[in-house]
Amino acid sequence: MTVVTLPTPKRVRYAGFWAGAWRRFRRNLLAMYGLVFVTAIVIMAVFADFIVPIGPLEVDFDHGLEPPTALHWMGTDNLGRDMFSRVMYASRPMLMVGILTQVFSMLIGIPLGIIAGYKGGVFNWVISRLIEFFSAIPWYLVVLYLIMLLKPSLENLIIALTITSWVGPCRVVRGLALSVREQDYIEAARALGTPVWRILLNHVLPQATPLLLWSFAVGIPTSVFAEAGLSFLGMGIRPPDPSWGLMLGESGQWWMYRPHMFVFPGLMITLSILAFQGLADGLRTAIDVNVNV
Amino acid sequence: MLRYTLRSLGGILSVVFLLSLFTFVMARAIPGGPWDVAGNKGTLTEHQINVFKAKYGLDKPVLEQYLVWLRNAVTLDFGSPYMAPEMSVTELILKQLPYSALVGGLAATFAVVVGIILGMIAAARQNTWIDIAINSFAVIIGTVPGFVLGFVLAYYFGAKLHWFPTGGWQNEPKYIVLPVLAFGIPAIGGVARWTRQCIVEAMSSDYVRTAYSKGVRQTGVIVRHVLRNAAIPMITSFLPMFPAMMTGSVFIERTFGIPGLGQYFVQSSMSRDYPLVTGITIFWALLISITYLVTDILYGIIDPRVRLEGKKR
Repeated sequence: MTVVTLPTPKRVRYAGFWAGAWRRFRRNLLAMYGLVFVTAIVIMAVFADFIVPIGPLEVDFDHGLEPPTALHWMGTDNLGRDMFSRVMYASRPMLMVGILTQVFSMLIGIPLGIIAGYKGGVFNWVISRLIEFFSAIPWYLVVLYLIMLLKPSLENLIIALTITSWVGPCRVVRGLALSVREQDYIEAARALGTPVWRILLNHVLPQATPLLLWSFAVGIPTSVFAEAGLSFLGMGIRPPDPSWGLMLGESGQWWMYRPHMFVFPGLMITLSILAFQGLADGLRTAIDVNVNV
Repeated sequence: MLRYTLRSLGGILSVVFLLSLFTFVMARAIPGGPWDVAGNKGTLTEHQINVFKAKYGLDKPVLEQYLVWLRNAVTLDFGSPYMAPEMSVTELILKQLPYSALVGGLAATFAVVVGIILGMIAAARQNTWIDIAINSFAVIIGTVPGFVLGFVLAYYFGAKLHWFPTGGWQNEPKYIVLPVLAFGIPAIGGVARWTRQCIVEAMSSDYVRTAYSKGVRQTGVIVRHVLRNAAIPMITSFLPMFPAMMTGSVFIERTFGIPGLGQYFVQSSMSRDYPLVTGITIFWALLISITYLVTDILYGIIDPRVRLEGKKR
């Protein structure tokens, strides 16, 4: 009997979950645009002080309403303030509202959702009704109403938007906790006497990470839109601070003769919403989220 | 079906009740009031403020105010706005609503018609360059805010070409074209994508393959099997667009200076006109909840599977 030595099979290296996700993400053109644009705008917001030669609040009455020139790349507004500088600085409130709103929504939504889903009972009932309530009424109603009570400002905009958007991550986590709590490994953990908070933190929450990542991304375009829209109505960022929506609103009576006053802020609003939307869409296909959560 | 309807109706009423309680109490819990907003801040004496409070019952405990309001609200009497004491809130809403309803209704119709056509073309030419082009167009157009698009349209077609007025409102069709386009075009994106998805899903289902294999002609399969099945999710998601858009977009109304309901909501919030704000909020919430209810019932009517499932329970 001859012994046949089989060639040792080549070890195949399977890509991990995140490596696969990145590969799918890279294939999505719009998602890559989103990644590049968002990176650029973050750099712009952080280093605005070093990039911009003229301050965003520097008034120059002799050079008001000028179309783009070599000195003022995007022209000047009615008070002679440099539009390029204002457009750059306005990326700060946009990013703050877009990202902080989602951060606070997660901080509120995740604990409430995970406890509601895992514990069930009266708490779950109350949270479910709250979720239904906030999904039934449109966000702008609540936000406009809260802004009216709290006076327009950056902080109040974030507070009002958080109150309407914590429902998103809360629903995601609650649904997941509900389905996971009957699993064997949770029961095993319970049998070992693991405290509830540790079960939630180590066994339930990691399951929700990809979903939450998507939920985080998909909320940002709405917040960016809300910041621009409310500032446009005069209920968001307060003048003289720059904001794209506010600049659009301020172009008031001049926009017909000085199109640069609405073109640049309008373009920035649209491009950023598109970028964040592309990022969220790309993430969804990359991590294969079931959208009907 | 009847039991289901009644239960949903109860749910709607409780949501609206909670919302009214919330808006009412919150408005009065926050310090300040209609007497110290921009414009008349500091111009009123202590005595005048007290007279104002007494006149509108704002000096009474909040709960008592709410009960009085609720008793009137049941008979659809939401009081008079501070800014126009000669008319009731209901009258004001009914007076301004037609502007919003006209613009929003036309915009929704436009978006649904164009969107469905684009979505059907994309689905028919699945995975070709036409499909990709329509899909990219839908994504991009869906992210443009209406008020930004409004500026672009008003500048190009209004200020440059002089085809349409750049804003304002007169009872002439040319005043309505640009607002409708600015409101409707961004909505096309979502409609087109959803239509494509519904049709593609219906086309890849088993009964379509069966129909083909038993020799039904292509047109027969499309009309009888694909479209009828795709129509169910389409109707249930496009129908709520109409009331949602007909109540008016604050942003579009501001851009074009349309005297619609949205404008009044912002104005009344700015001047803390409690009866008007509460009235408009309740009106909106009621309208939206009723839409959801009607959609739910309609769903049962057009999709027999839902009805049967309900009976089994």
